[in-house]
Amino acid sequence: MFKKVLIANRGEIAVRIIRACRELGIDTVAVFSEADRNALHTRYADEAYLLGPAPSRESYLRADKIFEVAKKSGADAIHPGYGFLAEREDFSARCDELGIRFIGPKPSSIAAMGDKGKARATVIKAGVPVVPGTEDVGNMTDDDLLRIAPKIGFPLLIKATAGGGGKGMREVKSLEEMPTLLQSARREAESAFGDGNVYLEKLVEGARHIEFQIMADGYGNVIHLGERECSIQRRHQKLVEESPSPFLDEELREKMGSVAVKAAQAVDYINAGTIEFLVDKDRNFYFLEMNTRLQVEHPITEMVTGVDIVAEQIRIARRRQLSYTQEQIKFNGHAIECRVNAEDPFNNFMPSTGRITHSILPTGPGVRIDTGVYPGFEITPYYDPMIAKLIVWGETRAQAILRMRRALEEYRIVGVRTNIPFHQTLMDSHRFMGGQFDTRFVEERFSMEAAAEKIDEGQAEIAGILATLVAHKEAERSSQIVRRNERDTSNWKWVGRWERMHR
Amino acid sequence: MKYVTTVNGKEFEIEIVDERHIRIGDRLLAVDFETVSGQPVFSLILDGRSYESFVYQGDEDWEVLLRGRQFQVKVQDEREKRLKAAAGGGVAEGGEFLLKAPMPGLIVATPVEEGQEVRKGQVLLILESMKMQNELKAPRDGVVDRIRVKVGESVEQKQTLLSVQ
Repeated sequence: MFKKVLIANRGEIAVRIIRACRELGIDTVAVFSEADRNALHTRYADEAYLLGPAPSRESYLRADKIFEVAKKSGADAIHPGYGFLAEREDFSARCDELGIRFIGPKPSSIAAMGDKGKARATVIKAGVPVVPGTEDVGNMTDDDLLRIAPKIGFPLLIKATAGGGGKGMREVKSLEEMPTLLQSARREAESAFGDGNVYLEKLVEGARHIEFQIMADGYGNVIHLGERECSIQRRHQKLVEESPSPFLDEELREKMGSVAVKAAQAVDYINAGTIEFLVDKDRNFYFLEMNTRLQVEHPITEMVTGVDIVAEQIRIARRRQLSYTQEQIKFNGHAIECRVNAEDPFNNFMPSTGRITHSILPTGPGVRIDTGVYPGFEITPYYDPMIAKLIVWGETRAQAILRMRRALEEYRIVGVRTNIPFHQTLMDSHRFMGGQFDTRFVEERFSMEAAAEKIDEGQAEIAGILATLVAHKEAERSSQIVRRNERDTSNWKWVGRWERMHR
Repeated sequence: MKYVTTVNGKEFEIEIVDERHIRIGDRLLAVDFETVSGQPVFSLILDGRSYESFVYQGDEDWEVLLRGRQFQVKVQDEREKRLKAAAGGGVAEGGEFLLKAPMPGLIVATPVEEGQEVRKGQVLLILESMKMQNELKAPRDGVVDRIRVKVGESVEQKQTLLSVQ
């Protein structure tokens, strides 16, 4: 039974894990990079240790240093969060060797699911349907992939075998552009996961991305906590998730849930994991991959099931049984999460860095925010642009959307540009309200500009008044500055005094 | 102070009447306008209706973020706009160019002489108006033909000040 958890992560997820530990009375150890000295996770944890310079490779990806910190601090468990070392088999294995409890699955499960090629082979054996793609296990060379590509057919996807979160993923429309895209995918995978291996998968068109949350303990109990609809994506990065999916009915949910459980069982899975499916227009579903970690979007599942997933992860890692049976999992209401990124939606989602000077978080009924930033915190270019997750719960999907609109309007972040206006426009879109979208929706049928054209005159006038008042104030202020600099002595005298003062 | 404000292509004439009032067209509106703790967040109460918005200064325009919508807003004070019209004016190359006063004011300086060659953009005349000195520039290269005003002279709007051949 461990007493002190090291959180090998940063940002909101590190804060989330610290919170769970604190509620359970477990001591926490944070690790941080030079850029994160003032980050919330560094400040919230009971202990905090510097890993190294800002770039992930020199800090959060340095397993050796993290183990040093574990030894020094006496941490007897490590929670990896998501990203960084979360899905590294060798990291989990090394924890076992060092007698540190890894709060996550066994190395063998990470290996089986972490290598997407192996994962496909494994679940196919268990009778789970998969998207057509490369079935070979292991390192495939560019030549191998280029040879196989036409057999799969275009368009197809290059995906990082160690991947997740869209990193190292490229859509390929033809064989001609494939070599270039292969290279850039490998490069991105290498820098994100330290592993440049990729595989191919047919692109299912008009598909929805729906995933199931799995919880499994060491006693053979495997349950699912329902699905999350994650089709609102841009460049394979999820932007909005909701649970339940407006696309599933009870029958399909049960069917997919039991397939998800089967897939997890196929790799002797323990702890929290997620089975991702693609669901096509005709409600055929295909296993996409398993994420052998806690997901960014786990809070929406917590909102509709009432299960504290992180606390449950810790419970499982402490070799106890799940607190729930499948029958005890009841779904209540609807939850939506918007990922708030430091990106300018009016400027092609360009990342925005800088110091957050001011921030007002939405609160009130049914609103939850998971964030790692605060006023005064600097958004650096070193890490993910996600600065907060805004999660709302409503009795119905409609109520959740209305509540999300309300919360987005309340949210103020000053200092960096955020994609909040994107979320506001999305929440107003009829297609989103009607649940009519697939994974291509944001990129192909949604634009901030088109939405901007529907502006009513009244709003334009208000905007005009605001700008005019600001411009007027600005003009007044600059004329005052001129006046303030008017000096009663001659400029020469003034310069002389000034120079003497600075001698 | 009068402004011509263009929002996504549509023009509004907005007059700052005093600290508490603005006029748009023939509507006089009560204004209560505050910066929220010195940030680019502004609170506006306009005839009792409350708005909050981000206003950023862009390269040329203002960017106003209001209820999740972004507006590109160009704010020109009337004087500036008239100046631009006077300077730009769509003057044809060649022929006589008549420099006219874009607004009533006082001639402060005439830095050129009759018969002098001038380049496009060169200052021909300085006109003081609303306590601000405005440089009136040559729209093209040419020779100053006749200066029709003297320093210290008050001029009316649209009065011809000098000509360039």
